[in-house]
Amino acid sequence: MSVWAALDAPCPPTIHEADRGHGPSRPSASIGAEGLHVGETVNTSMLGVLAPDRIRSVVVVSDDGELAVAVREVVPPEIAVVRDARPDDAAAIAAACLPWPWMVVGAAAVSREMATVLRERPVLALWLGSPPPGLPDTVRRFDRPAALLDSVAATCNAEVGGMRLAPGSGVELHDGTLFRGASLEALIGAHPGSIALSSRAFRTISDVLARHDVAWTPAREGALVTLARATAMTVRS
Amino acid sequence: MRANPEVLILEDDAETLDELQTHFTRKRFHPLAARSASRALSLLEHNRYSSRPVLAIVDWDLGKAPDRSASSGDVLSRLARELRECAVIVYSQNIDAFNVRNQIQRSHPRALLHDKRDGDASLLERVDRMLDRSVGDLRIHDGTVVVHAPSLDQHHHREAIRLVVHHPDIVTFHSDTATKAVRRFGEWLAAHESTVRLVSHGNRKYRLAVTVPQTPVSPGTD
Repeated sequence: MSVWAALDAPCPPTIHEADRGHGPSRPSASIGAEGLHVGETVNTSMLGVLAPDRIRSVVVVSDDGELAVAVREVVPPEIAVVRDARPDDAAAIAAACLPWPWMVVGAAAVSREMATVLRERPVLALWLGSPPPGLPDTVRRFDRPAALLDSVAATCNAEVGGMRLAPGSGVELHDGTLFRGASLEALIGAHPGSIALSSRAFRTISDVLARHDVAWTPAREGALVTLARATAMTVRS
Repeated sequence: MRANPEVLILEDDAETLDELQTHFTRKRFHPLAARSASRALSLLEHNRYSSRPVLAIVDWDLGKAPDRSASSGDVLSRLARELRECAVIVYSQNIDAFNVRNQIQRSHPRALLHDKRDGDASLLERVDRMLDRSVGDLRIHDGTVVVHAPSLDQHHHREAIRLVVHHPDIVTFHSDTATKAVRRFGEWLAAHESTVRLVSHGNRKYRLAVTVPQTPVSPGTD
């Protein structure tokens, strides 16, 4: 660059002052005033939202994050952590939710990896507007944000036969037993709807609910599973 | 000797930082105070094995920080990744702006938000409500002990304080030493027939529950 061209550029007296944002370069160094956020320099690969954790998670996928702010208002903090995702990092954020996200709330396109998670794991999926292609048929669609948020709030407080979500993870059965299993959490959230479940998880949940005299049991509905009142006629796989 | 629990304070304004430090010292907490994010990161790094703060108070707007090589978001991300057992309060003048909330909660999804426009007194009141709280028949005294109110017996361990501060949330403990301390606290609660009991969620995760019946744990499959 020519020295003449450089004359018009702001020139702080010292490098130290430039670093502090004083002098002529102050506007470009960001103003050192109260009330101006300075969080843009966060290393995105190290964001806390990508930290693996076994606490129950709600992943909210949107283009600008506004939906995540609204969802956070209705999810009790002791029930689940809300993780704000963008379409390009949603799959990585979902992978950090162990063993998988309890719920995914969406209002944007999702990657193929994210669609695979939603198809192959018992994850509750609620969508604002038309769900993108590749998602399972069990996705609940909402046309209005208010209806979506009401449904999220109701799902967090779901109770089936005395079973409800325990704080953080697991399900509290009617006798006070804590059952640590994400599949039963998904079944309770989906009730009275159904969700895809592995045969192993189906058998485990059937056994535990029977052992604790819960009046409900998992029941097959084609390829999906729902919670139904336990009777002698209940068909178990 | 009692080890007073640490509180991390990140505040770029020297006067406010001094006020917060004085407040926590009076409450018998040990303040780890920083005016810049890089200093806060350094404090966390140097205290990595010896101490882990129970609470972090983070000013999102660090316009007056003497060193701007790191941001408050970097500190929040470090806390979310490596100090999950630390409760975090973030305050900002712009806490109502959804893009600020997004940035904060992508850095730390569990951070509690506070409006700086409500003043320092409002922040301190909120902190005091967290630190002076009672759970069932337990209460925190002087920031360093958990007191069983009916017997006035005391339990001196920062992990016990952490559990009371976080109630009803789950706390993830970072080491076998910490989980042993937590289990000893659980035994202490049982021995005192406290209305509070310790619930294990596996994988070093525990919480307190205020219920009378015992909770057997049924292992899951996932």
